[in-house]
Amino acid sequence: MRLSPQTRRQLQRFRSHRRGWWSCLTLVVLAATALLAELLVSNRALVIHYQGNWFFPSYGAIHTGREFGFDYDYEVNYRDLRTRLAANRKGGWVLMPPVPYGPNENTYVGQQFAPRAPAAATRHLLGTDQLNRDILARLLYGLRNSLIFSVGFVLLTYLLGVSVGCMMGWFAGWFDLVTQRFIEIWSLLPFLLVVIIVRSALPPGVQFNLGILLGVIVVFSWVGLTYYMRTATYREKAREYVAAAEVLGAGPGRIIFRHILPNTLATLITFLPFYAAASISSLTALDYLGFGLPPPMPSWGELLRTGTENAVDAPWIVASAFGALSLVLVLITFVGEAVREAFDPKRFATYQ
Amino acid sequence: MKLHRLILPAIVLVLAGCGKKDTAASVASGTPVANFPGMEADLARTLKEQANFYVFKPSTDFAKDTEGLTWQDGSDLPEFADPAAKKGGTLRAWMSDFPSTFRTVGPDSNDSFRGYLLDNVEMNLLRPHPNAPGRFYPELTKDWAVDRAHKTVFFHVDPAAKWSDGTPVTTEDLVFTFYFMRSPHLNDPWSNDFYAKTYERITIYDAHTFAITLRELKPDIESRAGELNLYPKKFFKDFGPGWEEKYNWRITPTNGAYLVHDEDVKKQVSVTLTRKTDWWGQDKRFLRYRFNPDRIRLTVIREPDKAFEAFLRGDLDLSPIGLLNQPKYWYDKLANDQRDVAAGYIVKSTFFNNIPCPDLGLWINEAKPLLGNRDLREGLQYATNMELICQQFYRGDAVVQQTRSDGYGWRVHPTIAARPFDPVKARELFAKAGFTKQGPDGILVNAQGQRLSFTITAYLQSLQDRLTILKEEARKSGLEYNLEILDSTTGFKKMLQKEHDIALAAFNRSVEMYPRYWEFTAGVNAYEDAYLGPDGKPVGKPSEGKPNPSPKKPKVQNNNFTSTFIPRLDELIEQYDHAESMEQIKTLAAQIEQIIHDDASWINGWKMPFYRLAYWRWVKWPAGFSAMQSRDQEEFWVMWLDPEAEKETTAAKAAGRTFPPQVLTFDQFKQP
Repeated sequence: MRLSPQTRRQLQRFRSHRRGWWSCLTLVVLAATALLAELLVSNRALVIHYQGNWFFPSYGAIHTGREFGFDYDYEVNYRDLRTRLAANRKGGWVLMPPVPYGPNENTYVGQQFAPRAPAAATRHLLGTDQLNRDILARLLYGLRNSLIFSVGFVLLTYLLGVSVGCMMGWFAGWFDLVTQRFIEIWSLLPFLLVVIIVRSALPPGVQFNLGILLGVIVVFSWVGLTYYMRTATYREKAREYVAAAEVLGAGPGRIIFRHILPNTLATLITFLPFYAAASISSLTALDYLGFGLPPPMPSWGELLRTGTENAVDAPWIVASAFGALSLVLVLITFVGEAVREAFDPKRFATYQ
Repeated sequence: MKLHRLILPAIVLVLAGCGKKDTAASVASGTPVANFPGMEADLARTLKEQANFYVFKPSTDFAKDTEGLTWQDGSDLPEFADPAAKKGGTLRAWMSDFPSTFRTVGPDSNDSFRGYLLDNVEMNLLRPHPNAPGRFYPELTKDWAVDRAHKTVFFHVDPAAKWSDGTPVTTEDLVFTFYFMRSPHLNDPWSNDFYAKTYERITIYDAHTFAITLRELKPDIESRAGELNLYPKKFFKDFGPGWEEKYNWRITPTNGAYLVHDEDVKKQVSVTLTRKTDWWGQDKRFLRYRFNPDRIRLTVIREPDKAFEAFLRGDLDLSPIGLLNQPKYWYDKLANDQRDVAAGYIVKSTFFNNIPCPDLGLWINEAKPLLGNRDLREGLQYATNMELICQQFYRGDAVVQQTRSDGYGWRVHPTIAARPFDPVKARELFAKAGFTKQGPDGILVNAQGQRLSFTITAYLQSLQDRLTILKEEARKSGLEYNLEILDSTTGFKKMLQKEHDIALAAFNRSVEMYPRYWEFTAGVNAYEDAYLGPDGKPVGKPSEGKPNPSPKKPKVQNNNFTSTFIPRLDELIEQYDHAESMEQIKTLAAQIEQIIHDDASWINGWKMPFYRLAYWRWVKWPAGFSAMQSRDQEEFWVMWLDPEAEKETTAAKAAGRTFPPQVLTFDQFKQP
């Protein structure tokens, strides 16, 4: 695929915005880390050589303790296995990830539930929370949930917001009028209340999960985009090239998708990072209030809440959560800034 | 306990919902709202219409009616307050919200503030002696006599008893109280129902002599007849339809030691209670040496955490009720080496009480698919690690409840105990229920491919950590618990609608002589069509029909969260509810507990065997701290303030002098 000269120029300008470019790279690295979390931070071993067999338990089905000579039928504790194999030298070896803890795991079996401070020696690089769970693991898996959520959120809100907005602008008339009124009413519904109602009104047997939460939030978030798309479509519709296309016999679908949409791309792309940031903060806020993901799914909001509850005794919890959240939001904002600048037709604009 | 404060309104909600409405209807013969003739006239009409209930006899009949009865006044029982107590001072306390009304009865009146107006302050006819379960001491009465043969208790009102407006307490107030509580205009169906179901009649001999006759003879006849408070007739002269609006902010005259004056009410900010210095009861046995602070100022502080900080700053005299029961506060936030504790300014106390505890546990809904299988339910019992919560979350402070009915002063069943955590045994039982294979995620599956996965519904955010512990431990038995933590209203509604798989819930229990079973385990509370009469239509009582082998319609809006329906159990409960002696009660209760235990639909939760608090060292307590059947530091009001100690402490703080640290334990009532 060859990029158009304009796109190439925009990319160049994006790269020349150093802060944005580096933020973008950092975000990519973070996302990659989160996606590969099982290989970096996990209580499952990377490689096991046991009695002549090889195991790669990071992904897929669990291995029970009995398979490795323990007397229990639940998932083997790989750290115990490593200790045992290391002690008698024969029978095999275990390679654990750099941080050998899972996000939901009580890492101090047989000891009291209480937060423990960060220490390199225990490999709890950010400490543990009030249930003895590793905070780094919870942050990383929480980041993954946030990113998945945010990608889904952006895709769905854009799909809904752009199509409805375009339709309003293109069809105009009574359709525009009715949809606008609907949107005005819709955007006044108290969103948090709806989340609470949906949670309580789920049919028995259906677990509240990321998908349902995503659905509820999207249903209330797409309206914001329609305003921009509606005006953009109105504006473009009046241009000569649209008239020309019409004269040539192009249908509304072709005109919208081939002519109008590419010309409004700048608006859409500029908003994208801000929508991503907004989705992460709303997920965090809901989790913080206890209306988000069902426990014990790792989430930043939950970390923030337990962190603030234990701010005096265990400041490392709130520090980690707050630090991570600020970092990601700041990075996204920098990227957003760079994107906006790259798509700005004025090379040297001053904003006041 | 914090939990009990939170669940209290909810429970009354449920009880109100499940009362039997038929009897209430017979009492609700009030005049239509439009031509209500006024309280006096309506009362006169009611007394005439219900002459069988309100019986007036000449005082000369009294001697004949009470012939051969033994009069008692509790004078053989020891007092539980401390003669060393001093009156005076202002206790600075808090409340989490400004009360929505000052009424103590009717809609919205059952909030935690009511404790300061009614529950802990207003006098009853009799009250259970908190150190002698099953015995009573007189408050508004002088003495009483029980006539079991006629299901009647005779009373003399204490001639000294007075309302705070100066009028003496007489049998007129008693008559009014019964009229008031049975009136349909009260707008409180639960009270209507209770007063209709419990009492057969009241008999008035003169201004200070009366008798209360119950419908049924129960071992706790004194409790049913005597644990009543009265309402002053004079004050409620405007009672009638819509009375609750009129009386929202009027302060009811009290016969207790504390009164709220209008000028001490700062809306949304604070309410101050003032001690009546000429209170009629202040020299009466069991009432003296109590209610000591001159004033109790309750400031609105929305969060217990904030109240705790206010306490540490010295703005409050006592730590918030229940907060220090949490290990995080007791061991970390207010550790023994905390500055003010180490300096001896703040005292920490643990008081072991012995009281019917909230029946916290996992209520398994037997009506749900798979959960109808008894083996599977027993497996869940072994797969749920409550012990770990007690040992490592509560740091060994909490204990697992052994039976559904712990703390009644007598062991309800001699041998049964909570099942221990045992994944091997759990897996055996799950295998018996058909779950033999383990899926790739470590969760058991049966031949139909169903996973061994259930949802636990809870209605308190604060339970999240404890539920997470249960979830992670359950995986060891190949069991998956999903957690659903809702807000309190929707969570509780879901349980009342019987839509849960498993509910983590607790009902608060008041101090009673023996536990209740009908509400929680009767088949008629599980299914509308649990029992069918001869005509094939559902009936309300097991004795009126035959058990339905395949009931279809779940009965909602009641406390049978386990959907238990066992005909043999229902038979026993019916006998239990009509048992007349304590021996019968004990025999039947043991059999009932055994069936409940074998049915395995309630997983024993944890309980705190004590309550804990911290206070500044100028707050003083009796030598044994408090009474055995007290629920928290404010029940019975036995503490007092020592102004000398306050001055001494303030001076010492300023000068940097310290006192020996005090971390006290009172375990004279501790259970082995």
